[in-house]
Amino acid sequence: MDVWFVVSNAIVLASIYGTLAIGISITWSSLGLVNLSYGFVFAFAGYGAWLVAQHVSPWGPAVLVAGILAGALAGTIVCALAFIPIHDKPNFTVRGLIATLAINLIGTQSLLWWFGPRSKSLPEIFGNWKVHLGGIVLTADKIGNVLTSIIMLVAVLKWMQSSRRGLEIRAMMMNPHAASIVGIGVRRTGFYVMAITGGLAGLASVLLSQTYYIAPFGGLTPMIKGVSIALCGGLGSVRGAVIAAILLGLNEALTTVLIGGRYVLITQFLFIIAILLIRPRGIAGILDRAREA
Amino acid sequence: MSGSTWRNPLFIWGAKGAAEELPSNPHSSHQDIWRKTRESKTKLLPVGRLRYYYKWPGHGSRTWRRLRYWPTRRRVLHIRGEYNPKILRREKTIVDKRPIWWVLGLLALAAAPLFTPLDLQNTAMTAGATFGIYAAINLCWMLVIGTASIYSLATYAIVGTAAFCTAWLSIKLGLPWWMLPPIGAAVGLIFGTIIALPATRLDGFYYALLTLGLNELCRVYFLTSKEFGSATGGLYGADTYVPQGASQLGQLLIGYYACFALMLLALLLYRLVNGRRLGRILRMAPEKREAFAEATGVNFRQARIRVFIISSVALGFIGGFYTANFRGVAFSIFSFETVLLGLAMLVIGGIGRAEGAVVGTLVVVFFDKVLISLGPIRLIIIGAIMLGVVLYLRNGLFGIKAQFRAWRDKKKSERRSTRAEKGGEMLPEEATEAHDKDTVYWRRYDKMQRDYLKTLVTPEVIEEHRSSPLGQHSEPLERLLLYFRRQPQVDKYAITVVEPFKAYRIVALSGHRGVAPRVVEDKVYASTAEAYHGVFLRRVQDLLES
Repeated sequence: MDVWFVVSNAIVLASIYGTLAIGISITWSSLGLVNLSYGFVFAFAGYGAWLVAQHVSPWGPAVLVAGILAGALAGTIVCALAFIPIHDKPNFTVRGLIATLAINLIGTQSLLWWFGPRSKSLPEIFGNWKVHLGGIVLTADKIGNVLTSIIMLVAVLKWMQSSRRGLEIRAMMMNPHAASIVGIGVRRTGFYVMAITGGLAGLASVLLSQTYYIAPFGGLTPMIKGVSIALCGGLGSVRGAVIAAILLGLNEALTTVLIGGRYVLITQFLFIIAILLIRPRGIAGILDRAREA
Repeated sequence: MSGSTWRNPLFIWGAKGAAEELPSNPHSSHQDIWRKTRESKTKLLPVGRLRYYYKWPGHGSRTWRRLRYWPTRRRVLHIRGEYNPKILRREKTIVDKRPIWWVLGLLALAAAPLFTPLDLQNTAMTAGATFGIYAAINLCWMLVIGTASIYSLATYAIVGTAAFCTAWLSIKLGLPWWMLPPIGAAVGLIFGTIIALPATRLDGFYYALLTLGLNELCRVYFLTSKEFGSATGGLYGADTYVPQGASQLGQLLIGYYACFALMLLALLLYRLVNGRRLGRILRMAPEKREAFAEATGVNFRQARIRVFIISSVALGFIGGFYTANFRGVAFSIFSFETVLLGLAMLVIGGIGRAEGAVVGTLVVVFFDKVLISLGPIRLIIIGAIMLGVVLYLRNGLFGIKAQFRAWRDKKKSERRSTRAEKGGEMLPEEATEAHDKDTVYWRRYDKMQRDYLKTLVTPEVIEEHRSSPLGQHSEPLERLLLYFRRQPQVDKYAITVVEPFKAYRIVALSGHRGVAPRVVEDKVYASTAEAYHGVFLRRVQDLLES
């Protein structure tokens, strides 16, 4: 049990959960929707990738892209069902939360009904090689996970910084009302945001399936981890989510090594509660600038 | 368009080429426009205009006995007494009929075992017991979400923790069943106090997401711990209140009525918390109006935490009862599906009402436990109902009435605004300022009249006036001239003589004694007839421009 093993595990977990957390964060701050149907999006993307690996080609990049596309598709479905009909209705935040939960229930049960309870596994995307780096062994999936999620995140964030659509999304994050006044379509932007965050969830799904299996309810734990990280980092802040992802990944790896795997969630929640008691809007959230539902 | 005849007044003087009667140029009748304005364009519907209350016959000479229940001074029914203004007889109106519905519904639930078909008895009684427990849980949850407006999703975590602890104690120490609910209540108090701590700082969704995580934390903890029987899918073998010697039907009936009694207790708690001081305080401080409540001296934070802890204790009690009822507890109580189904129960009924919690539980338990043969489809159906309710209803099934009324009132006012005639009317502010209210009606009438007169102006009419400004005219011209002559003195056109029989000029009267008329144009007319026609043209122009 050396330090580097812990650190490398922490980085892998942080990069995957961070991908999810940033998706949740962006959705909340731009659309005002607490998307709790990530469990469904996650499982849907996993099954999409599995179908492609099964019927089209087990080639790594193809499976990865299929997962991302399936995630984006699930994201748009959620947007069309839970955001478009009620985003201008009274009490949207509560109703949106419940609508996404209902979609999660319907979606996961449909997947269970369609694919059965047996879990599926994806082919190894990054091959089966190892790198010895000064005494530590880095397996292919570790390096691949970290690199892919970082590349994807950087691409999304660059796109959000430099493109027209990204500008629209950022305008919605600042002030949705003003954004709609200056001619940014709320519904259209909603579709972009949900497709992108769904794609991020799909990526996380395919990456995590290198370690775990794909099951109808397999998305629950990653969703809760993602939500916790987003919460801890401050909903709506990308930088906060990244910091929180690193901290919580470190916490998870350290707890696994020092105390034992079953105490991971306990230490994690004690950590989150401690942070939230000090700063109710998370690490990066500033109390007054948080989005008011 | 109707035409009338024009009698030529010059005919009897033997004017050259004059006809005695000629048809005047066709014009629309003033009667038509009057009838069109007066007729009602309102579409009358036979139903749905008034709220209908049955009027009970009242007393003869004394006020009726008001039944009040101990220990409050409240009455069983809210009855309003009034005199009917038409027949001057005393009448009574039941303003709030909900207690009647509650009594009927609870009687139906109590009598339900008598009416279940024999082949369904096992399923239905088990589902009924589950319904009682879940309804009790949901009533406590409703106190947290509805009354205290803390979006806690950790309800089942409290129930499950209490149930697991009591089951473990019962198995290890051999505790009798009647000790389980109080011990559960103690566990609920401790657990509730711990998770109430973040609720003092966090609000709304931050707390909901955090408690969702806490629920998962409990699930993982109990699932992986050896003490709580991780291998068997749950912890079973606790003491139960159901006598094991009784027949199967007897056991089912005892279980059903015990759970029913638990639900009644939860209803009582809901009433005591929501209907009394704490509930009143919190109704003062709904979401986003906390600052106002605080300014008026309401300590809403303390009240919220109190409600949270009270309902946590109740949830712990229910957890202990759960163990005593099912002889143990399964891990599925912590699962995400359970939370989702519980939330579906609340949402379908409508958040913030006791009847919503009970009826929502009834609907979901029916699909989940009675139609169990459907498999995963039943959960999909529940999810679809939940989604439909959230998308289309503002506050669940019991909010339909209020939502329908609001929608109908909106439609009514939309139709009213499309019926309103534009032009001529005074704005509401102007109308209240007007000293003489007759002017409000006069302006509307005048607008209608001018609209009609504009249709009469034709080249034929102008030509007729040009040929003979004075004397008898055709009907349209006569109506125009009568209207022009009836105008008030202010700015009325007049003819002034510059040089008799040679030069005339048009002026406008000031309408005030001692103030000279003003000249409106330089043009000089050679004869009175020409000047008359000039005035006529100016007035026609003013009419068409108005």
